[in-house]
Amino acid sequence: MAQTKSLPTNDASQGWHTSRMTWFAPEAVAWTAASRRLIPTRLISLGAVLVPALAAAVAGALLLTPFLWWVAGGIVLLTAWSAWITVRIVLAHGWAERDDDLLVKRGRMWRSVTVVPYGRMQYVEVTAGPLARAFGIATVQLHTASPGTDASLAGVPADDAARLRDRLTSRGEARLAGL
Amino acid sequence: MSLGSQGERVYSAPREWVHVHPVSPLLGGWAAFAAVVGLWFYNGPAKPDPGQPRELHISLAFLAGSAVIAALVAIGFGYLSWWFHTFRITDEAVEQRKGMLFRQQRQARLDRLQAVDVVQPLLGRVFGFAKITVEVAGGSKSGIELHFLRLADAEALRNEILALAAGFRADVAASRDSGQERAGKGFNLRTEAEAFRLAPAPGSARTSIAAAEERPLVAVPVSRLLMSILLSWGTIAGIVTMFIVIVASIIVGLVVPEINVVGAIFGGGFIGILTGAAGVVSSTLATLNRGLNFRLGISRDGVRIAHGLLETTRQTVPPGRVQAVNFSQSLLWRRRDWWQVVINVAGYQDNQAAVSTLMPVGTTAEALTALWAVMPDLGDPDAPGTISRALAGQGDDGGFTPSPPSSRWVDPAQWRRRGVRATDTALLIRSGRLVRQLTVLPHERTQSISLKQGPLQRVLGLATVEVHSTKGVVKPVAHHLAVADAVELVNAQAARARERRSLATPEQWMVKVGIAEDAHEHE
Repeated sequence: MAQTKSLPTNDASQGWHTSRMTWFAPEAVAWTAASRRLIPTRLISLGAVLVPALAAAVAGALLLTPFLWWVAGGIVLLTAWSAWITVRIVLAHGWAERDDDLLVKRGRMWRSVTVVPYGRMQYVEVTAGPLARAFGIATVQLHTASPGTDASLAGVPADDAARLRDRLTSRGEARLAGL
Repeated sequence: MSLGSQGERVYSAPREWVHVHPVSPLLGGWAAFAAVVGLWFYNGPAKPDPGQPRELHISLAFLAGSAVIAALVAIGFGYLSWWFHTFRITDEAVEQRKGMLFRQQRQARLDRLQAVDVVQPLLGRVFGFAKITVEVAGGSKSGIELHFLRLADAEALRNEILALAAGFRADVAASRDSGQERAGKGFNLRTEAEAFRLAPAPGSARTSIAAAEERPLVAVPVSRLLMSILLSWGTIAGIVTMFIVIVASIIVGLVVPEINVVGAIFGGGFIGILTGAAGVVSSTLATLNRGLNFRLGISRDGVRIAHGLLETTRQTVPPGRVQAVNFSQSLLWRRRDWWQVVINVAGYQDNQAAVSTLMPVGTTAEALTALWAVMPDLGDPDAPGTISRALAGQGDDGGFTPSPPSSRWVDPAQWRRRGVRATDTALLIRSGRLVRQLTVLPHERTQSISLKQGPLQRVLGLATVEVHSTKGVVKPVAHHLAVADAVELVNAQAARARERRSLATPEQWMVKVGIAEDAHEHE
């Protein structure tokens, strides 16, 4: 039963602060980072919500009551904080094409790595909204038979997106298995 | 055509486009009638006017008229859509055409077949009709529903679909030839009407392909089902609610001098009973209807699950189509050693609770039998022992990799029970303290795997591994493993899933085992 003991038993003396491995970092994997052009698109979407709110607060402060300056200040802080988070999230997002599966990593504070075997892909979808098109990027989404699979690659350069989709699809067909 | 003289009919599944049974719209039409009557009772008698009895007559006449018209309109539309609703089966697929204005053609590929159900709603049971549901892997609207066929025909169609999907083409072809001579063109309005007239008893039609022999495995006695419902959390919650309300009303009665104690108990207690009962009754009825007459069996076609009191369902899930299995046992069931077993089957998109129960309540031995029925090979020399230890154990009992002690800070209740273990063919995930849980997932059914970590988990050196199964009630997640174990699990599970997938049974399951005579016909 070689398989049954492939999970290492947890040594009781090995406390949480001494564990060697801190995160999933397979060797010899070339990560592709999400395009930096994803940052402005995300920031514009963020601004589309927060800038009108800020304008309303400033107008209110000038016309109604100075108390609203505090609200405006709060919105500025919130905007700065959200922008910082957005940039961090984009920088943490990336993917890697391995021989048999695709790795997708995302998140800083709440981080995750998803392993999607090519043979499990049902279909691959490429989407690009007007904003993304303006910046020349697209989103490539992989669908498996599970609703839990969260494998969307945001910020793929538009030229690469179609090629990536075709590559993934052909690998999927080569390894396709039944459910 | 000699079918009339013999008084029996051989049903064979239609290779040409045919309609469902012409009585189908009538089985649906009564609903419109009931709706109008219901509407009238809701609106009509709301303003009683004793001075003018004529009003009531008019109202009644109006009711009868509108109900009849509504029923006729519904039946008329029913026949229109019946006319446009046809189906056929081929060697590769079940095909369906429907829609008046927007024609749609749907195809359920047999090599992607996940389950075939024969469902009899109440009215269908009275008149001997059933609907058939073919579930295939794919999007949310990929399944096919044919309602209604006569019960025997529906069963024959199910048998043929399953035989074709399993790869028994020679069988089917041979029986078709003999069936064809006797049944002529199979199924059309005239022969059907004639057959109905001459042999009206439902169930009298012979089927061209016999149902695969079924070996019963588990039956749930009514007494045990009732006891299990009594010992469920819903019942307990209802009783506790009642108790609290009664106590509260006694206190109010004693403290507030204006209110009589007895009156308060009766008033408050009654409300308590109502509130408690309302919640309990609906869930109890659903559980009851799901669990009554529950029988689990196994046949060449796969696992057979039959249940239902008013509406009966007979599911057939072919071998290897079960994506994940979950055992659960609440504290109240522990002394009696009872378990509930639920499964994920791809294709069942809606109505998950109704179709996902493999066993509503059963002993450990029966639960193990049920697991064996859907996963005969657990990849472990002592499968029953392994599962039994996994069901009851904690820490590293039975070779499990437990969650480390640091996880007690984020998961004080369950951390001792949490653990994972892989056998050669399946992954076992153990959890739950008050409600013990064990999830069993075949490696080859792993869709994708995620490793997740929040800020608190990072400080404690923990990570969570999610194994994605198809949509369903079972969601295999191993919470709060040590990071090294979690990473190892992700890597090992990806490798195991890959390896098992390459060995996996092909979609035509009988071809693989070498039982089908016409295996050479398939490329």
